[in-house]
Amino acid sequence: MTRKNLVLEGIPASPGIVLGRAKVLAEKVEAQPYYCLLYSPEEINDEMGRFLKAVEQAEADLIVLKESLSPEYQEHAHLLDLQILVLKERMIFQETQRLIREERYNAEWALFQAWQKVRELFKGIGDPYIKGRIQDVEEVYRRLQSILAGKEALSLSSQEPVVIVARDLSPAEATQMTSSQVLGFITERGGRTSHTAIIAQSLEIPAVVGVDFATREIATGDALILDGLTGRIILEPDEELSHSYRARKEEFEVFKGEVAQSSSLPATTMDEYPTQILANIELPEEVELGLKYGADGVGLYRTEFLYLRQRHLPTEEELFQDYRRVVEAMQPKVVTIRTLDIGGDKFLSALEYAPEMNPALGLRAIRFCLKEVNIFRTQLKAILRASAHGRVRVMFPLISSVREIKDARQLLEGVKQDLEREGLPFDPRMPVGAMIEVPAAVTLAHLLAQHADFFSIGTNDLIQYALAIDRVNKQVADMYQPLHPAVMLMIREVVHAARVARIPVAMCGEMAGDPLYIPVLLGLGVAELSMNAVAIPMAKHIIRMITIEEARKIARHALRLVTVEEVNDYVDQEINRRFPEIFRFGRTMAANHAI
Amino acid sequence: MSKLAVSHKKSKIPVVEKEIWVENRLGLHARPAAQVALLAQKFDGDVILEKDGTRANARDLLALLALDCPQGTRLVLRATGPQAQEAAVALFSLFASKFGEK
Repeated sequence: MTRKNLVLEGIPASPGIVLGRAKVLAEKVEAQPYYCLLYSPEEINDEMGRFLKAVEQAEADLIVLKESLSPEYQEHAHLLDLQILVLKERMIFQETQRLIREERYNAEWALFQAWQKVRELFKGIGDPYIKGRIQDVEEVYRRLQSILAGKEALSLSSQEPVVIVARDLSPAEATQMTSSQVLGFITERGGRTSHTAIIAQSLEIPAVVGVDFATREIATGDALILDGLTGRIILEPDEELSHSYRARKEEFEVFKGEVAQSSSLPATTMDEYPTQILANIELPEEVELGLKYGADGVGLYRTEFLYLRQRHLPTEEELFQDYRRVVEAMQPKVVTIRTLDIGGDKFLSALEYAPEMNPALGLRAIRFCLKEVNIFRTQLKAILRASAHGRVRVMFPLISSVREIKDARQLLEGVKQDLEREGLPFDPRMPVGAMIEVPAAVTLAHLLAQHADFFSIGTNDLIQYALAIDRVNKQVADMYQPLHPAVMLMIREVVHAARVARIPVAMCGEMAGDPLYIPVLLGLGVAELSMNAVAIPMAKHIIRMITIEEARKIARHALRLVTVEEVNDYVDQEINRRFPEIFRFGRTMAANHAI
Repeated sequence: MSKLAVSHKKSKIPVVEKEIWVENRLGLHARPAAQVALLAQKFDGDVILEKDGTRANARDLLALLALDCPQGTRLVLRATGPQAQEAAVALFSLFASKFGEK
């Protein structure tokens, strides 16, 4: 079979390039359990013994794994504990034995049947967290099957570092990996924000996910090139290709080193113009990643998670505890909390909203909150209480009229009075921002500015509404253009209105974190950019290598161009001319981690 | 038509019935369920937890998870066997302790 230079494509999930050998974790799982009937009582006895021995070995393996967890993963030890419990769980352990004894199935088939029943049982579960535990049962199941099949147990203690190839990596598996053993990850499942992607990013090793048939195409021991910048995998590369990738890798490492140095430095242009680079976060745990990459604060704290994760509404106390954790961890840096940005359709079943024809134009975000004032008040109260523990700003999403921001502020004032009565501390001057995401808000920016302490431009929605493009729709996705002249003019208008009212303008949304757009945005007057943590070093790197005058010049010129194609060509050229290495690596590096 | 419920006339076996509420914030997820299963395994006899007519043996981690009990769920605990009383009390206190969650 000639596999020379065979190319597989996937989604780039963590930047970097490696050349190495593959270790396929899923190959043993591919072996389908076969069916056969046992005849004699002796056979049944032997089969029982075989199964019990497999369980014993699995247990021993799991205990070894647990003890060898590196210290940074100790908190995940309970996942392994859970698996040890599942091993002896009646529905797996006893049921398999019963099937061997009574149905005279071979161990593999009996185990498979028991596992099927568990899977059925879990289908009915509503709570996504509990439902997710099926993963742990599946891992136990696979471990047992591979032991029964006489294959090596899942073990990563290979002497030589390898590129891990798997169908998917569970949290428990991922925790066994340390960067000294693992050069990179390739998985069949998963997207940009999958568990594998996050682990790979925090270990700073390259990863490509969503590679169809990876575990079938790649075999343990195969030589390969993994390019986490483009999402490309090359099997059995010839000397010429290896050579060029080695050069590219070296270039990238040098570049990465330079970029990393910027993360701890202030985001100031060469001519000392100060900017702020902040992190977008969703989970309290992400704060650490933000700090690691040098965030000047949190520019967008998405708060939907707690509402979607459980079926009951989160209590004020639950919200407060989460917010406080983030605020205290970021201290003394600012944390910008976006109030619930959710549509009635996505919302808790308890509220029974009819599905909408057009949810993007429906009852969502601030509209929803102003209708469900009790939910809104609870959240505002929790945010205000958190404001006593650090620097907090609040912002309202999808504002489209002056009325909305006035109503929201009035509710906020009411909640402040409640807190005073209850004697609970809060920051009475907590800044209140309007998110500019709807064309109407751009047109009214000068009026909204009278009622807001800051603006935050949410580009994802603004571009969608301004250009009437649903970028998930493949037919029109290429028309989603952040540098569309209409979008640039809107940004300019918002900046102008804010300047007149003397309030700051921030931007959150994918556009803000894209190295290609940063000079233009800076030139347009947006000096506060919020992005995914991993994109921060690159953003700082660019800002520190440009002058505000240059940025303004680029923006001025771009504004004079008539079509988006002209703008794109011009900006590409300018960036390529000034920062050829950013043009080569930086874009993929940051865009990989788009929101 | 409808079957008559069979009453338990094995009078020598102690039976204890108790109402239990899932009070911890995260509900009966993996860790609490594991705690329940481990505790239930220590007693001689059977413990059944029932939610809206669905039953789970308290020793079965997976069955407990599959009961799908978020915060606020009402369960009926039915313990039988020589240590029914002890088992019921121990499990009741475990639920009441909210499994050590803060």
